[in-house]
Amino acid sequence: MSRSIILLGGPDSGKTNYIGPLWRALDSGKGALHAVEQPHDIEFVMEVSEHIFQGSFAPRTEHSERRRDFEVVVAAEKDGLTSKLVVPDVSGELWRNAVMDNEISAEWMQELRLSDAALLFIRVGSDQDVRPLDWVTARDLLEKTGNDECQELPTQVLLCELIHFLERSLLQREDGEKPRLSVVISAWDRVDEETFSLGPYAYITREYPLVAGRLNDQDALDVKVFGLSSVGGDLKNDANFRDDLLQTGPDGRGWVAVYEGESWQKKYDLTLPIDWAVGLLQ
Amino acid sequence: MSTLCRLEGCTFDDTGMCALNHPPASCPNREALSGSEQAFPADDPRENISESIGAPVLTEPASMKSLGNRRTLGPDDIQSLMNKRYVNVVGILGDPESGKTACLASVYLMISHAKLKGWSFADSLSLMAFEDIVRGARDWNNGQLPEQMTMHTELADERRPGFLHLRLNRHSDRQTVDFVLPDIPGEWTQTLITHSRYDRLEFLKSADVIWIVLDGRTLSDREKRHGVIARLGQLAGRLCTLLDNMIPHILVVVTHLDTTHLDDVVAGRILEELRRRGAIAEIIGVAPFSAKQDVVPAGQGIDTLMNKTASHVNSGYSFWPSSNPDYTARAYICHRRIP
Repeated sequence: MSRSIILLGGPDSGKTNYIGPLWRALDSGKGALHAVEQPHDIEFVMEVSEHIFQGSFAPRTEHSERRRDFEVVVAAEKDGLTSKLVVPDVSGELWRNAVMDNEISAEWMQELRLSDAALLFIRVGSDQDVRPLDWVTARDLLEKTGNDECQELPTQVLLCELIHFLERSLLQREDGEKPRLSVVISAWDRVDEETFSLGPYAYITREYPLVAGRLNDQDALDVKVFGLSSVGGDLKNDANFRDDLLQTGPDGRGWVAVYEGESWQKKYDLTLPIDWAVGLLQ
Repeated sequence: MSTLCRLEGCTFDDTGMCALNHPPASCPNREALSGSEQAFPADDPRENISESIGAPVLTEPASMKSLGNRRTLGPDDIQSLMNKRYVNVVGILGDPESGKTACLASVYLMISHAKLKGWSFADSLSLMAFEDIVRGARDWNNGQLPEQMTMHTELADERRPGFLHLRLNRHSDRQTVDFVLPDIPGEWTQTLITHSRYDRLEFLKSADVIWIVLDGRTLSDREKRHGVIARLGQLAGRLCTLLDNMIPHILVVVTHLDTTHLDDVVAGRILEELRRRGAIAEIIGVAPFSAKQDVVPAGQGIDTLMNKTASHVNSGYSFWPSSNPDYTARAYICHRRIP
């Protein structure tokens, strides 16, 4: 069985920095999903991992429409059902341009039409995040007619349009269930305790009200929200964490926030968002 | 500057032509060539001209597919939406610059920040059109007034008249309400009044509510207000004709509440003018944006406008009206009992 999992999100939303540690997690065999065999081509994931081994995040996949696929055969249980995952990583600019121009290359469209699951990334505190225009100060802008090119598309509008697109394009699952969408809030280690305890959906509601409304209103997709810390801390701003990571290595540090019981909890298993989206055990 | 020429702005590298029409070999501005000098740069197109003969003139464009998202919606889209669920169609009329677009922008921006009291966002099929509006892309097709509502063949860089869609959650009863709001030029209202151009506004027959947007500044101006009210009466007359005297509820939206105050006498005259034409109306003052944020906050009255809009549903014709049985007049049974 071959499935293509689409990773979507705006620029600097954490897609690439998830794939590197994800491969390490799949390779270790300790998570909900494990790699059945060593993939033929691991150049891309090793490149990303190399940055993290050296104590820095991988740079943004900037201004490139070049495909960088990560293909791996995974299983949830030993000798159980297997699935070939094709995880194409592309720059957030591709998705932003696709929404702005309302068109995407035929090659990408073909890939999307083979998918029955997707991961949608949003990053906490990204400097690429575009806030909606403030309605209090918008009056002056409205008077400047035709000056639309200097304004960027708000992140929440981009995400809503991507969700619309996924609703239309993802395939029904082979078991007849709805296609699945894991909404992943990356850099979740940067939020305070209160925000963590309220969970990533509450964060979306507060920061991206249009996205929260859209996720609530749609019934074409099965949606689950996760918090994610790909390496378990901030390599850029936390020198102590970086030193510790360089000393002992990055493996096993990444975690996913999941709602379990009656609270949000950290699970040190980066495969969980993909495991749920693929749904091999169900 | 060219790498082969000292003259600022010379494009010899790109064009192979001297900007001063000097022969390249004798041009005084030309940089001295090194020992491995050559007549033309290595990538000069003339060097490779033989290779390009017979090659395709144009590169093949990348094959693109539509993402399927829309800007504004056309009448067919609205029909399709109405087949699925009840949709509140709002008619929006008003002179140019009266504040129609500002009202739409204010609704959208407030809902984008979750600041529209009593309402929250659920969906919109025309988010990009709302973005165009709030980013100031307000020119109608580069100044050419459109003649009809948008069709499917819309270009991304043009603003065409069409419908905007918003689905909102109403907190008071947890109902989801679909609004369809037309984004049309004010000139269409003017030609409806002056030249009976009904054809472009046929969709008003499906409207649950009609907003007539009036500029509060003109109503405050004693020299202009009488003309505005007279035109309003004429507009109501046109609506009577267009809608066979079945005018839906009218909301008179008076804008610029931040800088003006609507006089009670003027308000009474407005309502009387509409009542005279058989229209039931109420006046709502709004400040889509505010020049006096500390006195009248931006968005004042917009929540009331949406509440009132959603509370009026067009009952339409009653095809088969229900009635309570009249037990004193059961004609058939009485007939059997009559000897």
